Amino acid sequence: MIELRDISKRFGDTVALAGVSLEVGQAERLALVGENGAGKSSLMNVLYGLYQPDSGEVRFDGQATRLKTPADALARGVGMVHQHFTLVPTLSVTENVVLGLEPRKGLFFDLDRARADVARTCQRLGFELDLEARVDGLSVGSQQKAEIVKALHRGATTLILDEPTAVLTPQEAEELFQVTRALSDEGITVVLISHKLKEVLAFATRIVVMRRGRKVAEVRPGETTAGELAGLMVGDGGRGAVSSAPPRGAELSGSRERMVPSAPPGGAEPSGSRAQAVSAPGTPRDSGGSAPGDARGPRVFAAQAGVLRDDGGTSGEPGLVAVAPGVWPSGPPALELQHLDAAGLHDVSLEVRAGEILGVAGVDGNGQRELAEVVTGLRLFTHGRLLLGGVALETLTPHEARSRGVAHIPEDRLARALISELTVEENVALGRQRSPPFARGSRIDVAGRRARTTALLSAHDVRPPDAVLRAGALSGGNQQKLVVARELDGRPKLLVVVQPTRGLDVAAVEAVRARLLAERRRGCGVLLISLDLDEVMALADRLVVLFGGRVQTALRRDEFDERAIGRHMLGVAHA
Amino acid sequence: MRERLRALVPSTASVLLAIAVCFLAVVLTRGLGTALDAFAAMGAGALGDWGRAFDTGDMGAVLRPLGEASNKAALLTLTGLSVAVAFRVGLFNIGAQGQMMVGALAAAVVGAGVSWPAVLHLPAALAAAAVAGAAWASVAAELRLRRGVHEVISTIMLNWVAVSLVENWLVTGPMRAAASGDNSVSGTAQVLDSAVLPRLVGDVSRLNLGIVLSLGAGVATWLFFSKAVRGYEWRCVGLSPEAARAAGIDPRRATREAMLLSGALAGLAGAVLVLGTELKYPSTLAASYGFDGIAMALIGQGHPLGVVASSVLFGALRAGGTRMQLFGVHKSFPELIQGLALLLVAAKLVWSRLALWLLPERSGERP
Repeated sequence: MIELRDISKRFGDTVALAGVSLEVGQAERLALVGENGAGKSSLMNVLYGLYQPDSGEVRFDGQATRLKTPADALARGVGMVHQHFTLVPTLSVTENVVLGLEPRKGLFFDLDRARADVARTCQRLGFELDLEARVDGLSVGSQQKAEIVKALHRGATTLILDEPTAVLTPQEAEELFQVTRALSDEGITVVLISHKLKEVLAFATRIVVMRRGRKVAEVRPGETTAGELAGLMVGDGGRGAVSSAPPRGAELSGSRERMVPSAPPGGAEPSGSRAQAVSAPGTPRDSGGSAPGDARGPRVFAAQAGVLRDDGGTSGEPGLVAVAPGVWPSGPPALELQHLDAAGLHDVSLEVRAGEILGVAGVDGNGQRELAEVVTGLRLFTHGRLLLGGVALETLTPHEARSRGVAHIPEDRLARALISELTVEENVALGRQRSPPFARGSRIDVAGRRARTTALLSAHDVRPPDAVLRAGALSGGNQQKLVVARELDGRPKLLVVVQPTRGLDVAAVEAVRARLLAERRRGCGVLLISLDLDEVMALADRLVVLFGGRVQTALRRDEFDERAIGRHMLGVAHA
Repeated sequence: MRERLRALVPSTASVLLAIAVCFLAVVLTRGLGTALDAFAAMGAGALGDWGRAFDTGDMGAVLRPLGEASNKAALLTLTGLSVAVAFRVGLFNIGAQGQMMVGALAAAVVGAGVSWPAVLHLPAALAAAAVAGAAWASVAAELRLRRGVHEVISTIMLNWVAVSLVENWLVTGPMRAAASGDNSVSGTAQVLDSAVLPRLVGDVSRLNLGIVLSLGAGVATWLFFSKAVRGYEWRCVGLSPEAARAAGIDPRRATREAMLLSGALAGLAGAVLVLGTELKYPSTLAASYGFDGIAMALIGQGHPLGVVASSVLFGALRAGGTRMQLFGVHKSFPELIQGLALLLVAAKLVWSRLALWLLPERSGERP
């Protein structure tokens, strides 16, 4: 029994936790949900000994305990698996698991005993894992399992999982939940931090909702719906519409008033009907509140195909193709790949038309990253043709791609899109630093840059709207908003988006998706690469599935079928 | 603003602590009186003996030490900027010493080899030194870009190539000045007057245009990094080559250009040495300003104005150091202070904590 009593924590003037009390019972599966910055991770970091609370106490079995370091927490049986793994890539799973408590034979590392010990831990917990494999050769899902084994091997009886499924494929996520369910049967307490209400409802035995540093509700999965939870998270209560709306719809519509920014600089205001339209495709899969992966027969989305068209949007953008309501996009191709080869890609042919979203589905590591890199000029292609706006290009540099109107929202924003040591305004200039309003001749136009940054920050609701703050000091969701703001500010003709909503909270996900749809309506071609199949299916007009660097299949929206796509993603469709 | 002030803490605290520790060392070994005398002598040697100047009216008592201090500061500033420029682009140029040597030789050759009016001759000699230093550095840049050779390795090795080429061969062999009469001469021929850096206050002090030149270089470098688009792009490359590349900046080009500028600055240091004080390339340079530049860049935190500040300080301390000998303290004492300060600056974590304690975080800043 763990009790957190009246925990408060401030960072400067920001209140992260305002007197939160929480009890965690043994062998319980507790889910903590809330928006980014609601205090979920802060609270768990207190329990894990990473943060010292300003006030309040942590009690284990009624005994107040000061947790100064994670080692203290571990001594009390608390282990945590973070979003970013803490494994040494060049070591084997066994070596990683015993790191820091290696069994010794005299002066030497007793690898045989380590293997046996770890194998015993795995066996006890029912984990299947290649213990000899080097970590950098493992899939993300297996790495995560290694992290869990590492925590449990150290004697953790309470396991905190921070956004564990953010990086997993649907199959891996399902496996993770099976494994963790089995753990709780073994008496291990599991605390799950998540944004994904569907999985929370399927997994948890109790759900705690946090908002702005406070605990706002505590519910049991059987007594609530995803819509209600979403309402609690964003703080507008369960409105009439919410209870009947499907979960995804509730997530999107419930917080619309608050979070959708007022006037995007490059496009039309995403309307309410748009947000509803997005929600519609989710209807059949979510309405039952069933467990993920629960087989209910093929879910065909033909019925929804028309809904997405039905937004009545007309583009006010001259020069770009307006998409008429109710018709398939028929703009000229913004991007064409013909029999293209590159490292990691084989004979890829695809086309993104102006005013459509082409989704790319696939399991991680099947060429998605390479595809994005080729199109943005970061990777050379060896054979085949690449056309941007109808112009065939022999080679493509990142600079040329940008000047031809290609914008890029990459998967890893801190590696590719932002420089965390630079200020927000310096990051806004990144990629456009030589053109107005960011430069005058060869000099930086400080005033122009400041003005444009301030405008973008308020239009895209980036918080805090401070142009000279280090970009690294923004929260993940706001960093992503900053990247989106910058990339769309250039009014791109082709938008290459990879995992745009990974790790974002409900409201931020909605904001980003609304932006993508607004761009589509403006007449921009969007290449959407995501590991989240739901996301691809909800947004894309057409999709292709990548497997082993090849295009497996290309489907129109009225042909979307989750099971068939899943088979293509696993490369087993050719039977 | 607060964040900027906080950035000053590590270097300032390190330097002060280093001076304090060294002072204490003298107190413990020689007694307080000697220590005070020695440090007073160092101060007089660095900033001038103002008391004597007022008593006797001999301005030389002030100008002579200031001239020595500024000459040393000028050299440290240029080599320090050389290292700092490379540093900003993510390169570690350990080769400022070698680049300075070839620059010094080029300045000596042009300074003695042609006979032009001063308005042409001096700039030509300076330019030759900059070009030579840049060319030397470009070897390391090309090795890195074409063959992936790390610049730390190549610049260290190029230092030794420079020593062998310049000092062990050219200066003692083909380029050695012809003997005049019975006197055998070492080093290259004397630089002509038209190529000498003009002295600023006549013959009473060796104070010359070099300090103006190097301070100008410091300000120009600072403006380049803070105001120019190119400087911004270089900083991006230094902080995140991957993000810079994705933004359409060519990291290879930035690397190449930055290394050229770095080499040119080190080459200029060689010119200031030859055209300002040595007036020829002596048989050996016997000055490690190229290596000291690394210390200046690190103590100055890679910021051009920080480099200027630490160079002026240590230039002055070094000029004053010779006078400590009168009190039985070795003249290399200022180098000890420099080394200790460098060591302390490396204790980043300690200083950032201190900085946060002195200047607590405002709202919005997360730890």
